[in-house]
Amino acid sequence: MSIIENPWIIPALPLFSFLIVGLFIRPVSGKLAGIFGTLSIFCAMVAAYTLAWQYFSLDHHGGGARSALLPFSFEWLRFMKGMTVNFGVMVDSISVMMLTVVTTVSFLVHLYSTSYMHGEDGYGRYFTYLSLFTFSMLGLVVAPNIFQMYVFWELVGVSSFLLIGFYYQKPAAVSASKKAFIVTRFADLGFLIGILVLAYFGYQVQLGGVGVNAGQAVDFTFLSNPEVLTKLNEMGVLTLALILVYAGAAGKSAMFPLHIWLPDAMEGPTPVSALIHAATMVVAGVYLVARLFPAFSAAPNALEVVAVVGLFTSAFAAIIACTQDDIKRVLAFSTLSQLGYMMFSLGIATMEEPLGYTAAMFHLYTHAFFKALLFLGAGAVIHSVHTNDVWKMGGLKSKMPITHFTFLIAVLAIAGIWPLAGFFSKDEILSAALESHRYFHFYGGLVIAGLTAFYMARIYFLTFWGKARSDNASHAHEASAVILIPLVILSVLSCTTGWIPFAHFVAIGRELPHTGINMAVAIPGTLVAVIGLLASFFLYRTGDAKTVDGLVSGFGGLYRVIKKKFYFDEIYLFVTHKIIFRFVATPVAWFDRNVVDGGVNLSGWTTRKAGYFLTLMQTGQLQTYGVWFVLGAVVVSTLFWMTVN
Amino acid sequence: MLFHWVLLSLALFSVGIYGVLTRRNAVGLLISVELMLNAAAINLVVFNRYVAPAQVDGQVMAIFVMALAAAEVLVGMAILVMLFRKRKSADVTKMMGLRH
Amino acid sequence: MNETLFYVLAGLSVFGALATVMTVHILRSAIYLMGVLCLSASFYVLLGAEFLAGIQILVYVGGIVVLLVFAVMLTRSDDLDEDRPTWPRKIVGAVGALSFFSVSAWLLSQSPFAEEKVLETSNVDIKSIGRALLDTGSNGYVLPFEVVSLLLLAVLIAGIVIARKEPQ
Repeated sequence: MSIIENPWIIPALPLFSFLIVGLFIRPVSGKLAGIFGTLSIFCAMVAAYTLAWQYFSLDHHGGGARSALLPFSFEWLRFMKGMTVNFGVMVDSISVMMLTVVTTVSFLVHLYSTSYMHGEDGYGRYFTYLSLFTFSMLGLVVAPNIFQMYVFWELVGVSSFLLIGFYYQKPAAVSASKKAFIVTRFADLGFLIGILVLAYFGYQVQLGGVGVNAGQAVDFTFLSNPEVLTKLNEMGVLTLALILVYAGAAGKSAMFPLHIWLPDAMEGPTPVSALIHAATMVVAGVYLVARLFPAFSAAPNALEVVAVVGLFTSAFAAIIACTQDDIKRVLAFSTLSQLGYMMFSLGIATMEEPLGYTAAMFHLYTHAFFKALLFLGAGAVIHSVHTNDVWKMGGLKSKMPITHFTFLIAVLAIAGIWPLAGFFSKDEILSAALESHRYFHFYGGLVIAGLTAFYMARIYFLTFWGKARSDNASHAHEASAVILIPLVILSVLSCTTGWIPFAHFVAIGRELPHTGINMAVAIPGTLVAVIGLLASFFLYRTGDAKTVDGLVSGFGGLYRVIKKKFYFDEIYLFVTHKIIFRFVATPVAWFDRNVVDGGVNLSGWTTRKAGYFLTLMQTGQLQTYGVWFVLGAVVVSTLFWMTVN
Repeated sequence: MLFHWVLLSLALFSVGIYGVLTRRNAVGLLISVELMLNAAAINLVVFNRYVAPAQVDGQVMAIFVMALAAAEVLVGMAILVMLFRKRKSADVTKMMGLRH
Repeated sequence: MNETLFYVLAGLSVFGALATVMTVHILRSAIYLMGVLCLSASFYVLLGAEFLAGIQILVYVGGIVVLLVFAVMLTRSDDLDEDRPTWPRKIVGAVGALSFFSVSAWLLSQSPFAEEKVLETSNVDIKSIGRALLDTGSNGYVLPFEVVSLLLLAVLIAGIVIARKEPQ
């Protein structure tokens, strides 16, 4: 059986695992649930790599995008003739790439979790959710149409909600899960409207006889067809629809101003943060934009929104990350920043200058590994130090040597130091900006790269260097082998994935000239990274708060504003509590309680009273009924006579 | 003439209705029902006489009515006796079992 | 002659019926009912159904009324020696009965009945009633007759079953 003809097996494995683990194994044995879940994801991973091998071995004529295959598809919904929604598995370069990324990271996180979550309540439940998430994410990745993507989009949202709120006895976790769910749902409203607009006008276009052979109106192949896109543009709906779809993508990828849920999502277990909130789910937004890239490139204004919001989010998050003390929050803001990087890289690409597209996918690919590594390393540290606060760590370099070494690799990778993965992908993004003559984005990207190096080095030095600043830190010990194996594998991946000739695999539009490293980008890129690292080295090497106190007081109010994340949570709270709750929700609630409920109660009251009066007629005495019977007979015979005549 | 006959049976029937609606004693109720049955039987014979005098169908019906009246009284009385034995009363206004 | 007799008897009969339903003593009520039934028997004679008149006396007066009198005596209780309905009950009953009477009378007055000439002497004799009752043809009544006989048997058993004392 060839995987490329049966790619459905890849998402089916975690689904199978979800059902088996959730229904049968979890109640029996948590340990078995972990082993079973991990094994099934391992099988999925093997299948995904086999698929990648088989797909990329196919003949590929010339440059640009490789052709997409649809080896598995069935009709799911039929709205009307010519308007059906299929379920299926689409195999093309980015879906294959994502399949490998998701299964790899998911497998490593599963493996890591078997040890990390050991002894927790709900161990089996945790693996059930993880399997559900992996299934949903794989279903999202292989979606051949925007409708299926939406279904799985919501499923990953649900599993993210379940996993963030995994420690449901902790109020902070509960509110974080609610926040994540509500914010992303709010954004998905835009996505849904965008889908409906696209589907409606796509159908109209098909009725007009354009793109009839390009698939159903919601298929990605249809939405990539140039004639269809021209037609949609003429109708003047493409830009609007894509911006609405982008709203959904921005919610899932936590773009400004919908970024507020991601830092709070760190309340979930750390492996979950690594899997969902760093490597896979949050890049779904980037993936969606990449999927619809042909459509976006036909609507330059929508693409410009993507580019501007991406760059802004990236810079904004990088600045906040420099001031946070919670190691996971720094990583969360770093994720935001890197997602913004990918987004703006997509935003500056066009069909004529498609390097940004490839670069974004490349960065997504490398980022998944080194960010997962950072989170899992941070998890190992938290596991042994029992705190998230970097100021209570320190001196772990000698106590946790393997964790330290892998974390260092990840930090250097994300900072963009040759020859690690981050260097290549970041270099490609920056050269895409340069080649597209987007100098603002280029210099912005450089600054962000410097900031990234700075704050990553900051948490690295504070965690591993200097002296232990708490009892737990001084008694820390190396994590177990099961935790270390994924770290080592990921650090190997972080070192090597940069050398993949990515443009050979993932490309779109015009064929790219095969260029090596662009020195005009690599030199300033490395320079800012080194400056950031050195600045951190001098400030945080000792882990002594006094060294930075001068700097902090120098910035004064600005520092506090940044530390408070620009007061965005407070602004949202103000808007929701003080304005929406008071001026919208409270009157609506009053209306609901008094008018709507009142109406309902009134009808109930009327019925009850009417019933009460009717019971007075029900005396139970034969003769009372006799009276009604006689009078009824009289009335009926009268009426009957009157109608007959 | 037919109309007057019918009117007579109607009058007897209505009086029976009055009795059924007002009597408190169960035996009184049965008596009133007998009145109504009798009025109906008269009606049958009247129409037999005036509409189809050569036939006997009306009279046969009246015989059936009498048989049914006898049956009804018998069953009614049996129920009444049993109820009386249980409740020590034949007052139908106190029988409210239909209410629940 | 016959018509005068009819009106006199009719008046008496309606009066008797009213007395039946209005008297406070239930035993008197039974006696008045007996009177009304006897008058009905006379109506049957006037209508040329002498056999029916005889049956009326035998079954009704001789059977049913006696049965009723038995019932009165068996269920005699102090609180119901005199049956005086309350005024609201009387009014409601009167309204029901009167409205029924008036509407029906009005409807009857509006209805044209196909009245045939009444034969002076009835050629209907007892023999033809007997033939009709036992006729198995399309106009015969043998099936209802048999059903009624079954019914009477059933009633007889039911009366015994219902009214017998519970076995100790």
